[in-house]
Amino acid sequence: MTDANPTQTAAQTKRATTIEPLSIDATAQLCTDVADNVGRVIVGHDAEVEHVVTALLARGHVLLDDVPGVGKTMLARSIAKSVDCTFRRVQFTPDLLPSDITGVNVFNQKTREFEFQPGPVFANIVLGDEINRAPPKTQSAMLEAMEEEQVTVDGTTRALPQPFTVIATQNAIEPDRTYELPFAEVDRFMKKLSLGYPDPAEESEMLARTVGHHPIESLEPVTDIETLRRAREAVTQITVKEPVRDYATRLAGYTRNHARLGVSPRGTIALLRAAQARAILDGREYVIPDDVQYEAPVVMSHRIKTASRSGSDSKSRSRSRAGSNDDRHRDGAAIVSDALEQIPVE
Amino acid sequence: MSTKTGDRSRTISVDGQAETGLSPKTFRLLALGGVGVLTASYISVLQNVTAVVGGTQQLFTLVILMLAGATVLAHTITPRTATLVSIAAGALGFAYYLTATGLGVGVVFSATDKLISDTIALATGLSLLQMMEAGIWTLGFAPGPVFLSWYLVLRGRYTLSVIPGGVALLFLVLTGDAAILPTLLGAMGAIAAVGFGELEHYRGTIMQADILAILFAAMIVLSLSVTLVPGGTSAPTFLVESSHDGTLEGSISSAPDRTTIAGDVDLSPEVRFTVRSDEESYWRTGVYDRFTGDGWVRTGQAEAYSGPIAPPPGETETIRQTVFAEDTLDVMPTASHPVDIEGDIRENTELTTHGQFRPDEPLIEGDVYNVESAVINASVDELSDAGTDYPDSVENRYLQRTEGTSSEFEARTAEITADADTPYEAAVAIERHLRSSKDYSLNVSRPEGNVAEEFLLEMDEGYCVYFATTMTQMLRAEEIPARYVTGYTSGQQVDDNEWVVRGLNAHTWVEVYFPDHGWVAFEPTPSDSRDSVHNERLEEARADGEENVDTDRSEDVPVTETEVEPTESDDPAFDGPDGSETENGTESNVTNGPNSGGPGPDDGIPEQYRPTDPRTGPGFEQNLSTPTDLETEAAENETDDDAPPFAPENAALGIAILIGLAAGAHRTGATRRVGREARLQWHGFQRSPEADTERAYRRLEMLLERRYRSRRPGESMRQYLDSLSRMGYSSDDRIERVGRLYERSTYGNGVSREEADDAVALVDAMAREELPLIGRFWR
Repeated sequence: MTDANPTQTAAQTKRATTIEPLSIDATAQLCTDVADNVGRVIVGHDAEVEHVVTALLARGHVLLDDVPGVGKTMLARSIAKSVDCTFRRVQFTPDLLPSDITGVNVFNQKTREFEFQPGPVFANIVLGDEINRAPPKTQSAMLEAMEEEQVTVDGTTRALPQPFTVIATQNAIEPDRTYELPFAEVDRFMKKLSLGYPDPAEESEMLARTVGHHPIESLEPVTDIETLRRAREAVTQITVKEPVRDYATRLAGYTRNHARLGVSPRGTIALLRAAQARAILDGREYVIPDDVQYEAPVVMSHRIKTASRSGSDSKSRSRSRAGSNDDRHRDGAAIVSDALEQIPVE
Repeated sequence: MSTKTGDRSRTISVDGQAETGLSPKTFRLLALGGVGVLTASYISVLQNVTAVVGGTQQLFTLVILMLAGATVLAHTITPRTATLVSIAAGALGFAYYLTATGLGVGVVFSATDKLISDTIALATGLSLLQMMEAGIWTLGFAPGPVFLSWYLVLRGRYTLSVIPGGVALLFLVLTGDAAILPTLLGAMGAIAAVGFGELEHYRGTIMQADILAILFAAMIVLSLSVTLVPGGTSAPTFLVESSHDGTLEGSISSAPDRTTIAGDVDLSPEVRFTVRSDEESYWRTGVYDRFTGDGWVRTGQAEAYSGPIAPPPGETETIRQTVFAEDTLDVMPTASHPVDIEGDIRENTELTTHGQFRPDEPLIEGDVYNVESAVINASVDELSDAGTDYPDSVENRYLQRTEGTSSEFEARTAEITADADTPYEAAVAIERHLRSSKDYSLNVSRPEGNVAEEFLLEMDEGYCVYFATTMTQMLRAEEIPARYVTGYTSGQQVDDNEWVVRGLNAHTWVEVYFPDHGWVAFEPTPSDSRDSVHNERLEEARADGEENVDTDRSEDVPVTETEVEPTESDDPAFDGPDGSETENGTESNVTNGPNSGGPGPDDGIPEQYRPTDPRTGPGFEQNLSTPTDLETEAAENETDDDAPPFAPENAALGIAILIGLAAGAHRTGATRRVGREARLQWHGFQRSPEADTERAYRRLEMLLERRYRSRRPGESMRQYLDSLSRMGYSSDDRIERVGRLYERSTYGNGVSREEADDAVALVDAMAREELPLIGRFWR
């Protein structure tokens, strides 16, 4: 075990070093560059692209949820290719095992020792395709990785490379062949996005671009891993003052009072981080309520559990009575929308 | 049964209180207070009457008894019984009144017409004080409404309860006795009772009471500015009042039913009338018997003259006069005591209960009438021997004094008359005392309180009204019937038997009753200074070329001649001054004091000063500004306006108005608007840059809210401003700038002092532009 895994060593070293934050303007420029680069492949969906880029800067993971074929995987690949960093892709299937993700210790006949073979999770950007096709057991492997940025195999904990970002896609159809993601895992995704179909003009444009060579093949990185680290550091420096923190808290409080399960404190943290990235995208060194409002729907909606089929649950009933009776029939997005409308901005 | 009803309603109100957290009980108390105020208002009016004629204590006792009775019986008798009890109480009081006046209850059936006409007279402005038995009348009047209204309000019948009190107050308003203030308070009490009663019934909230507050303020303001209430000339006083302010002659020239003693007065040099007479005399115009403390009231109603009057019982001398009106006259001056009148206007002549003629409509210039008078021709001895065997009718009427006359006044009077053995001597002593101890002056400020007392005990100078009033009251204190008389002195003698009388000759004096002789005049006013004052006034007027100062015959005659005083000394009255009461004059019989030799002190005295206003001119002295004449006027005018500026009632009214205004402002949101405007326009004191910036932004929001719409709760500042610009709001860089500064100050790393000041200045400028007028210059 003494032979240190190079990846692990590198991660530890980097963590220890203080990183010089990128300037605000440079960070904003970086975001624009990446977004533009992705835009060469993905037609339209500018807002979603921006969301993915800001999540990347805000140290968050992204869940893309939509029907097949609208470009989820292509978006994730484009992002990864735009940054000069390690990129691994995991295709989730019902028979995927946790070790297929984290890696395994393999006995090396030559050295007569076990060697760790890192799984695909050891990469800067991990694309988890159709993540909901794997059973809960496999999902558990993702939990530690996403939250702790480390994996534990056979009792040994190994840090993941920095930065580490999971971009997962899930299929909204075929409910009988998919598992519902554990709520704890869903909560670990900073944002859940839905791309939707392109409008006719965009689709036509997309066709024009892809009939020949697919543009993804020729996509070049526009930044490197070191710059990305410094940009992330810059985002952490963005000021979030008390009125904004208070506003986020009240938004979360509203969802808790109007749904069976409201936004968790982790969700509130994610919200403010996303808002920080949003502020920097705007070239601002402080967060304003508008940033929070902009991010709230994609950050908060998937963390809200409304009264579902388990309507017989007595707790749910009492909650419903506390809020409005309609809450039971509304989804998280509607509740977030109500919260934004009703919670006063100070 | 009724008891149960009452209990139930009370239970409900208690429940309501528990439920709403407000208190119907408070409303009930306020409603009770309203009825209390209403009751107090008309009782206070009645008390004004009893204070003059006596009986205040009985009145209060009666009211307290009625209140106690109503409280006790409130839940034991039915409303019907209570109504019957009240009516019975009223009927008993009325019967007692009729008995007391000597008419007897039978008069109800025998002279129904007369009673009805009397009632109508009362309801059309005849003051209670003019009633002969006003005190008894009030005692009969009070119990019914007091009992019934209190009974009803205790039973929770608030609306009904104000009816008896309201009717009572209305009646007193119609008689003219209720001044504006009590009327107003009474009406407010009635509205409070009904309003708060309703609030109790429907469990209103205190917020709804602000309507009542507004109502009260409106009532006060309206009634003070629009005087719909009769008699509301300017101040709360009696309805029937002479309007001539500032002139002595005012009351004399019209001899109203009621005169009030005034302060400063002026003299009018204009000629009022010319008399051709066998003898010189004072020319009497009015007689008053009831003293109110600050004025005089003539009781009884005048009736159409229907034939010769019986002359005084003693020896009399008949003199005939022909009076030529030189001006409009409301009175018919005659030598006392007139017994018959001839001329065209005889048909239009009325006779007062005191035996004085008066025209039922004013005489105009050129009117002429002939009067025959019986002048009492009695010697001093005869008067001294007259005794004190006064008829009841005289005693009942002419010994009246206001309640609460101080013992000091009586003591001083007793001291002055200590040596007098007979009423005549007492009268002479009083007359002499006043003439010698007080100076004549038209410049006096009317004292508060009882004029007679103040003049005797405190004041050093006054004019005839003060002298005559004081002497009358002093005589009455000595149980000698006396009355207050107004009229004119004899005037300027222009021929052997012709006198020209001017406004400044107006005068008042005293008549004292002597059994077997009748009413004999006395003159308590010192004449010397008065004459000089009056003459100066006339000379001045002549010098100024004022009109109507002379008749064609009077201008060449020296004014001074007129004064005939010496002669009079004969009269008892005149003796006084000398101390020798006796003889001089003895021979001359004292007739009417004035006549006999010419009026005592006064006669002749023409004018004194008074600034004449050209306006006053011709006419009557009644014109306000006319300053006029003789001292008389002063007497009359009303007092009212002397109401002290800080009287508690006024303060209460002022507070009620303020509360009403505040409630109205609150209800209409004016306070909020003013507050907003102030916050918008005024930034306030400088604080930290952040606080200033935030405040500037809040003001900007207020400004934009006024122009466009308010920011919605969930709307951020940027969204709000963006939305406004999409609404076609011409984007103003200043707004944008203030918004950015606010954003940075609140969410970012703060702003500098300069930036904060900049934000404030920008908002200031925008706010000024909003101002309707100033804004135009600001731009």
